[in-house]
Amino acid sequence: MTITFQPSAFSGLVDRDNGLVSREIFVNHDIYAEEQERIFTRAWLFVGHESQVAKPGDFFISSMGEESVILCRDRQGEVHVFLNSCTHRGMKVCRYDEGNTPIFTCPYHGWSFATDGSLVGVPYYKDAYHEELDKSEWGLLRVPRMTNYKGGIWASWDPQAPDFLEYIGGFRTYLDILFDGWDGAEGGTEIIGGIEKWLVPSNWKFPAENFIGDRYHNISHRSVDLVGIGPSGQGRRDNRERDGAKSLDVSFPERGHGTVIFLRPADAQPVQSYQNDPIVAEYFYACEIARKERQGELWRILGGPGTIFPNMSYLPRQPRSIAVWHPRGPDQTEVWRWFLVDRSAPPEVKEFLRQYYIRYSGPSGLTEQDDMENWNYAHAASRGAMARRLRYNYQMGQGYAVDDFEDGGLHLPGTVLDTTKARAGEQNQRTFYTRWADFMAARDWDELAGWRNGKSANGHAAQGNGAAGR
Amino acid sequence: MADIVNLMELESGQAVRLDNDATAEIVSNPGDGVWLFVRYLSHPDDPAQVGVEDMVFAQVITEVLSE
Repeated sequence: MTITFQPSAFSGLVDRDNGLVSREIFVNHDIYAEEQERIFTRAWLFVGHESQVAKPGDFFISSMGEESVILCRDRQGEVHVFLNSCTHRGMKVCRYDEGNTPIFTCPYHGWSFATDGSLVGVPYYKDAYHEELDKSEWGLLRVPRMTNYKGGIWASWDPQAPDFLEYIGGFRTYLDILFDGWDGAEGGTEIIGGIEKWLVPSNWKFPAENFIGDRYHNISHRSVDLVGIGPSGQGRRDNRERDGAKSLDVSFPERGHGTVIFLRPADAQPVQSYQNDPIVAEYFYACEIARKERQGELWRILGGPGTIFPNMSYLPRQPRSIAVWHPRGPDQTEVWRWFLVDRSAPPEVKEFLRQYYIRYSGPSGLTEQDDMENWNYAHAASRGAMARRLRYNYQMGQGYAVDDFEDGGLHLPGTVLDTTKARAGEQNQRTFYTRWADFMAARDWDELAGWRNGKSANGHAAQGNGAAGR
Repeated sequence: MADIVNLMELESGQAVRLDNDATAEIVSNPGDGVWLFVRYLSHPDDPAQVGVEDMVFAQVITEVLSE
């Protein structure tokens, strides 16, 4: 997929060298429209989880950018992602959120499609089309790139997009903490409950940058910390496991992904947590021991919030969840929240976590309410004729990140900013907007895959920190 | 004028008549109110269709033959 345009139209909006970002990229309708083309038709996007389409005929309606897509499993058991738009007149062929069906029937004129996307029903096919319509050419539009990584279903509209594992590069080390079981078993997670969906009056990039590594906003959640909604009845989370740990902001500037992590000391041992319920406490303690045995040095990494560019964010531990920030215009985001549990966990553990997730996340969750206040009012106060002339400041910790971080023999993949003493930094946010500028400038994936030749679409050096530490 | 057939009420095993006078047994009902999967019992225009499975469109179904 090659885009023809004037690259200069977006130059200067992200001043990477000085850590400044124009407010226009959050509020400008023309820029927003270009994002749909340049970012959301080319990047890998999170669509759903395989546990949502466990049986043949199961479907889940998701979104890629602004566009509705169908995630479904066909009668042969194969998983697909299709554009939810009838190939006759464009009507949505599925208007339910999820379910099980043998066919998707367009309510407008009645064209119907099998769960493998093929066109199987055309009203008056014999009499009106004289059996001359080639049904094989009019199936639902299928994403050219789709992958199932440890249960997560990802897709891209760009046939030239790199494989998903190349897209995430060394970030895989951190993403695995989300999708693997708590005991480290590969892909041992499933979705619990329904998907929370709600609208926030803010640009989609606000929450994406918040999750990629904004430790600075902790003051916003002070009231939640005082209430004590965590699994042991204190704070927001159980943090004893972080005792003595280093606080690190990890990002991949050439790819746009980032996360905050905590690195336990080399001699750390599993600690008791989740103390409000003995069954739950025992489960997590046993999992920690198993994970330590299975993962060795990598067990020292405690995952925190992260973002896979552009709009999939997650919390890998407390509360374990996925958020996708669907763009719905420059001034609105539709938030979708999936919640994960270990597939093999006892029912008591799953229910305990469900209750914790509800307390913490979503439109009724105490922590997320704080976040929405910030995003919504920051966005509203940045839209005015005067306000939009200013730039946001992302200068914190600039120049202090390293590409060869090592601690006690453990080499971490990614560019690492040690925030143990500083307590906060904005390296990850700079990474996010650097990649945003790359996508807005690049003509194709030859330019976007800068790690292959050491150059980014904007001409800056692209580090090749793809597989270190694994 | 015949009553409009409500496909949502039909079940497998029931028979219907079509506007070309063909009759068919319902194999399955996808529940979309638009289509039925059927097997032809009779087909005056093309007797070779008897026994063949097909999808039939709601607008060509004129009558329910069996409850």
